[in-house]
Amino acid sequence: MDKTLSPKLRRQENISGYLFLLPSLVFFLAFVVYPMVMCIWTSFTDANMNSNTADHFIFLDNYIELWKDPVFLKALVNTLIIVFVSVPIVCIFSLWVASVIHKMKEGPLSFFRIVFYLPVVTGSVAVTVVWKWMYNNYYGIFNYVLKSTGVIDKNINWLGDSKFALWCIIIILLTTSVGQPIVLYVSALSNVDHSLVEASQVDGATNTQVFWRICWPQIMPTTLYILVITTINSFQCFALIQLLTSGGPNYATETVMYYIYYTAFKLYRFGYGNAMGVILAIFIAILSAVQFRLAKEK
Amino acid sequence: MKTNNGSSRAYSITSILILIILAILFLFPLYWILTGALKTPAAINSAVPQWWPQEFTLRNFEVLFSKRSAPLFEIGSLTGPIIPGAIRWLINTVFMAVLAMLLTCITASLAGYALAKKRFAGRVILFSLIVAAMALPKQVILIPLIKEMSALGLYDNLWAVILPTVGWPFGVFLMKQFAESIPGEMLEAARIDGAGELRTFITVVYPMIKPGVGALAIFTFISSWNDYFLQLIMLTSSSNLTISLGIATMQAENSTDYGLIMAGAALAAVPIIIVFLIFQKYFTKGITMGAVKG
Amino acid sequence: MKKIISLLLALCLVVSMASVVMAADAPEGASEITLWTYPIGNWGNEATVKELTDAFTAETGIAVKVEYLTYADGDDKVNTAITAKQAPDLIMEGPERLVSNWGANGYMVDIADLFEEEDKAEINPAALAACFAPDGAAYEYPLVMTAHCMAINYNAFVEAGADQYIDKETHTWTSEQFLAAVNALYETFGDPIGAIYCNGQGGDQGTRALVNNLCGGSFTNPEHTAYTWDDEKNIQALKILYDLNGIDYDASIVGGDEIANFYNGIFKMAFCWNIAQQLNPNSADTGAGLTLNGDEIVFMAFPSEDGVAKLQGGIWGFGIFDNGDAGKIEAAKTFIKYMCDSEHTADAVRASNFFAVRGTTEGIDISGIWSDNEIMNEYTKLMPMLGDYYQVTTNWAAARTAWWNMLQQVGAGDGSEEAIAAAVADFCAQANGQ
Repeated sequence: MDKTLSPKLRRQENISGYLFLLPSLVFFLAFVVYPMVMCIWTSFTDANMNSNTADHFIFLDNYIELWKDPVFLKALVNTLIIVFVSVPIVCIFSLWVASVIHKMKEGPLSFFRIVFYLPVVTGSVAVTVVWKWMYNNYYGIFNYVLKSTGVIDKNINWLGDSKFALWCIIIILLTTSVGQPIVLYVSALSNVDHSLVEASQVDGATNTQVFWRICWPQIMPTTLYILVITTINSFQCFALIQLLTSGGPNYATETVMYYIYYTAFKLYRFGYGNAMGVILAIFIAILSAVQFRLAKEK
Repeated sequence: MKTNNGSSRAYSITSILILIILAILFLFPLYWILTGALKTPAAINSAVPQWWPQEFTLRNFEVLFSKRSAPLFEIGSLTGPIIPGAIRWLINTVFMAVLAMLLTCITASLAGYALAKKRFAGRVILFSLIVAAMALPKQVILIPLIKEMSALGLYDNLWAVILPTVGWPFGVFLMKQFAESIPGEMLEAARIDGAGELRTFITVVYPMIKPGVGALAIFTFISSWNDYFLQLIMLTSSSNLTISLGIATMQAENSTDYGLIMAGAALAAVPIIIVFLIFQKYFTKGITMGAVKG
Repeated sequence: MKKIISLLLALCLVVSMASVVMAADAPEGASEITLWTYPIGNWGNEATVKELTDAFTAETGIAVKVEYLTYADGDDKVNTAITAKQAPDLIMEGPERLVSNWGANGYMVDIADLFEEEDKAEINPAALAACFAPDGAAYEYPLVMTAHCMAINYNAFVEAGADQYIDKETHTWTSEQFLAAVNALYETFGDPIGAIYCNGQGGDQGTRALVNNLCGGSFTNPEHTAYTWDDEKNIQALKILYDLNGIDYDASIVGGDEIANFYNGIFKMAFCWNIAQQLNPNSADTGAGLTLNGDEIVFMAFPSEDGVAKLQGGIWGFGIFDNGDAGKIEAAKTFIKYMCDSEHTADAVRASNFFAVRGTTEGIDISGIWSDNEIMNEYTKLMPMLGDYYQVTTNWAAARTAWWNMLQQVGAGDGSEEAIAAAVADFCAQANGQ
């Protein structure tokens, strides 16, 4: 198409393109790109809260320290665990739910859709505080139910025990993440070409075979989209950590996102925190690139 | 074939049973918020939970509404009557989410169209930048963003939360995916008819991407309502808080009072749930649209 | 309908845009100052504070905009505001924040000129000293003080026969008696008796005082230049507490949750306590010295080997953030004088539920403001046990963070002496900035 345009048209195309972009670009450059550039710059300095000392350019010192900081490494591992555990579970769980409900009548179908979507609209803070209460060591509902049914004989300190805390957080994250994927899968599954399904059933294929041969390829684009939004979502679990565990116990729920905040406002090390931010950004950019490469290939 | 049917019957019955149990579990937190908000302090802290409040009380809401107060509005030196802080927080949250939604929809649909249909220089680089930034957690730019908002005089102002939300490029990405599907011939035809760029956008492009705008509106509204982090770092004074921040502050208080916190949570959750139930059909349609094109 | 909605939305947009512009243009003089308070007694209560500030505004014409912080996230909030160069004009808290944190980092105004010779003579010397930085600058003007203590549920103690281990008259006990009491309570009630809360820094003075007193350990050196909590006595105390039935290291709660649990009868003792709590337990307005279901609360000194504890002091007052506006700094100083050194001081002190740091202000005797309050009189028995005010040691903010992280690690460990010693050594080094 480019080649068919005359120079004049092409110039017009350029100008109008930029004009359409302008409003959005202003916000994007001012509130995403510019702070990111500042973040990269500060990450090479020892900027801190102390107003009496000037910032020094220390180049890569922050980054070198990061790889020796056991808390950061722990936070990185936890972040990876959250992403790599919650993303597949969300996908599989919501695909299963969708496969059960998409054949239902409109009434029950929308009932289940609403129910699984409710935690999303309830709001992250409201959901977090009620879970905090339910997890409570002394008068939480989980300990009561498990104890009175004889599953456990001693209260479990869900959020205060490093064996459980991270999984407790992941469970909340899961309940607030499956709503949208279920809606998406329901619509994707009902759009699957039924003549193909019937044809292969006539050929004697089992349900499992039908699913993998016929349905799966057709819902692949939806799956990829779900992968992208779920990954984004699992990086947004800051509120959960801040309100429930503050990264504890013993750094069991420390994530890079929370550790940046902690470094800045508890340890007062802005430069160091920004270096962490840069590492996280690079990491996420790679992840997005991989996902998009996958999407392109399909 | 017959056995296959039998086992699939058993499978679907078990699945539905499991699904019903799951549904109950998913509804439970909400139920616990609503009943908790009406429970007495003794019932809240009892080691044997009351599945249904034995004694209903409005005490939690009374405390919630009397605890903090704030003026209804402040425009310049003009201040409104003093109302309970919690109501002001709700107003702030709606204001913030609605404006973030409107601005995002306008800017993103313009930009998405340009990225999809205009062949201007630097398009590929820009798009890669947008994709790379899309999943970026806001914690990364925590400190620069605070400093920037302070320099702009917007710190502790709802706009400090709205503007970065609008800048976040997910919307542009989504709208680009929608605009891709506009047939080039339609744009060509409009051009031949002599329609200007803006006119083409309004009469040809906008109607085509309208479902996408709806999806984006819903998405932005919910995500900015829930964007606790940005609110946390940008807003401090009690007349500028959002409802999420208000609840978070209550739970940080010296004496944890779950009844009060649940009252706050109920106040935050119920309005948006009602909106959701009313527009439920559009929600699902919008979300689905976004994915089918994307 | 649609048109009306879009019209409304557009209007909304314009008005709000305008509000930003106008807010930026609004004239700002010394006519309004901002004050952020931590919940120091009723200084965290909007109605009480409003009464005080309204009276101040009526007299001076200076309006005061108050924000209420919490201990759990207040520091983060102030730090965010400092980063944004939007710190409040006035802040109410203690020297550990005002002097050794924000003051040392260069954000506070030196208010040494507010201390006249007469004031210096009137103010309790320990409180006075804590408000000054090593270089002689003052970053806090003190208003009230107290000793932090712990509390027990007396009814539960009687029921378990553990009341024999306390001296209700002097409010003291030895470490041995404390351990015997916990064991007796554990046998009667089972878990939980109390908790070493360590989710965050809220109420951390309680856990520090418990550990330091139990076997006679120290937290810093006497010169306040280094942290010494890696001494063997503390390790021993942490080990004893780890092994003690009924008391767990609980990384899911902070001091505030502990108070609530104690008030609700779940815990039989609380380590985060002081006179303000005794007067109004859990800020619930259900009667002084009583739990939710009416059990009697007895405040106690922390247990120590000889029964004479070293209690942590709390000193609260006001500091001024340097926002570069001389008018506001002047107004803030007027506010401090009004609250801390005038005929209005008595009201300001009463609002805090603590003791005044001085007996007289400007010649007015305020030593008797609590004389009709029995609980306050009883509490003065603890005041002689006030220990060293070590919260002004350098690197304090990092040190207190290291403390609760250390408790978490001890709690998560296997309880062996080596594991505890390793955790203590590690975090103590962190506190010392190594």
